[in-house]
Amino acid sequence: MNTVLSLIVQRVVYSIGTLVLVSMIIFAAVEVLPGDVTARILGRESSLAAREKLRIELGLDRPVVERYVTWAGGALTGDFGMSLTARKPVSEVVFGRLGYTLALAGFAMLLYIPLSIIPALVQAFFPNRLPDRAISTLNILVLSTPEFLLSTLLLFGLAVVFPIFPPLSQVSAATGVLNFLWMITLPAVSLAILLAVAGTRLLRESLIDLMDSDFIRMAELKGMSRTRIVMRHALPNAMIPWLNATAINFAFMIGGVVVVERVFVFPGFGSLLVDALQLRDVPLIEASVLVAAFIFIAVNLIADVLAILLNPRLRT
Amino acid sequence: MVAQPLAEKPRRGAGLLAVWRSAPSSFRIGAILLGIHILLAVLGPFIALYPQQQMMAGRPIQGPDLLHWFGTDQLGRDVFSRTLHGGWIVMVLSISGTLLGVAVGSVIGLACGYVRGWVDEVVMRIVEAILSIPFLVLALLAVSMAGPELAGSPVLVVTAVAVIYAPRIARMARAAALDIVTRDYVTVARLRGEPTLSVVRREMLPNAMGVLLVEFAVRAGYAPILIGTLGFLGFGMRPPTPEWGLMISEYRNLLTVQPWAVFGPGLMLSTLVIGLNFFTEGLSRVLGRSPMRGAA
Repeated sequence: MNTVLSLIVQRVVYSIGTLVLVSMIIFAAVEVLPGDVTARILGRESSLAAREKLRIELGLDRPVVERYVTWAGGALTGDFGMSLTARKPVSEVVFGRLGYTLALAGFAMLLYIPLSIIPALVQAFFPNRLPDRAISTLNILVLSTPEFLLSTLLLFGLAVVFPIFPPLSQVSAATGVLNFLWMITLPAVSLAILLAVAGTRLLRESLIDLMDSDFIRMAELKGMSRTRIVMRHALPNAMIPWLNATAINFAFMIGGVVVVERVFVFPGFGSLLVDALQLRDVPLIEASVLVAAFIFIAVNLIADVLAILLNPRLRT
Repeated sequence: MVAQPLAEKPRRGAGLLAVWRSAPSSFRIGAILLGIHILLAVLGPFIALYPQQQMMAGRPIQGPDLLHWFGTDQLGRDVFSRTLHGGWIVMVLSISGTLLGVAVGSVIGLACGYVRGWVDEVVMRIVEAILSIPFLVLALLAVSMAGPELAGSPVLVVTAVAVIYAPRIARMARAAALDIVTRDYVTVARLRGEPTLSVVRREMLPNAMGVLLVEFAVRAGYAPILIGTLGFLGFGMRPPTPEWGLMISEYRNLLTVQPWAVFGPGLMLSTLVIGLNFFTEGLSRVLGRSPMRGAA
């Protein structure tokens, strides 16, 4: 148990180190590297006096290290300063939008679980036969379709040709729960399909590998039915790598969410990020990129810890 | 001992044909698709019926007919002609971005794997940190940091692709380097007193080439999607460039009246990526290596 604990502590410390490094990179990229931030905010034709005023307002006249420490210290307590465009605290803006996106991501995750497991099971029951090949081909087709195209096609099919779902997902605080779920179904389905492709591929590989292993052959020789072998012996063993891939997929979804939210005009974290970048709202950019990196690191950490707890062979 | 009959030396052409016949069918489909796409990219601008920017090439917003295979847009531009004009842009951007990313990444990775020590530690920590920024967010950040002067320039799009790929390639090249570094020829080169860069270039790079080539092919297969996504979000090429992702974004509001303006470029983009993916998968199976697929 001690080794497990120290392994977990090691991962946690490593993740925190990575997060600190990421915060430095983001800060450097946004504030230090290219040109004049104030000119980027106010435009190139702005007067020098106006730029100077903004520079002091933003605290840009202070040394870089001091500014980083102030920013990072604030970030620790959830204070990212004021948004330049929204005239509200950045944390309020970010966490409001993040709630919507987490609801969307959670819904997509719920859809992802059956969407990735069921096709892989079908493939494992009929390896190298028609159902297996059909699903594999479909997988490659979806994998080769950019997510903006896939979600646009879904929107065309299920909101324009067959107007089942609303074409826009412009939810607000006033939207009721059921209506909210209804409005985010299409974006959630697009996200889930994109993730399920990778999940299915991986689960199929590990299931088919496992079907070749000694303990499965043993079960076969005992005269166990194929259904029972797959469901009781192969599937639980294939779930560990799948769980790991799912965590990575979830992290990948942060990128996918940017595109899907854009297509369905969903006012989530991804749209916020794109808006912040387009409006050059520096404090908002820094905060949202950091939050995106934080989620990525946290999800990967959870996946690592789960893998350590579930797989005794990793505890060496 | 039975004497083996001497195999007749196959002619060069026949050998290639045999490889083609024995290759997996997905490889053949990929090669054909890719061939068609390369042909269209090269010939496209010459066989297109209309110049890509010519307005009123037909009635605005009309569906497909014999002269306008993908119909026309709101300015009456012929969508099929625009798509044809866009092929080489998508390909040149994808290949240069991937090439730049693989070049930078492999130099960093191989050098780190060779020198080891604190340099390796620091650089790889930074690489890990960059990798924890979701790649699309990283690309968008890179593009917007370049400032408005460079917006929409092909150089910026190429850089954005390279910024995403370089850290991923670096991590992979380092792993390959850790294996190569133990070989005797590297030790010999080091004992000869060759400088680091020359060992990396003359001993390590040629031996990591196989891995890097497969990696290049896989990444190049995703690059059109990446460039299209940047264009779609308004961070890539600017109108009136006929880049396919940008065209899909421009024609999205025509979806209810003239969906072919979206389907056309979308079909081209997907078939290009399918061709590249099949080709790469088949190629790596022929070469006996398994590519790292999936999310970039």
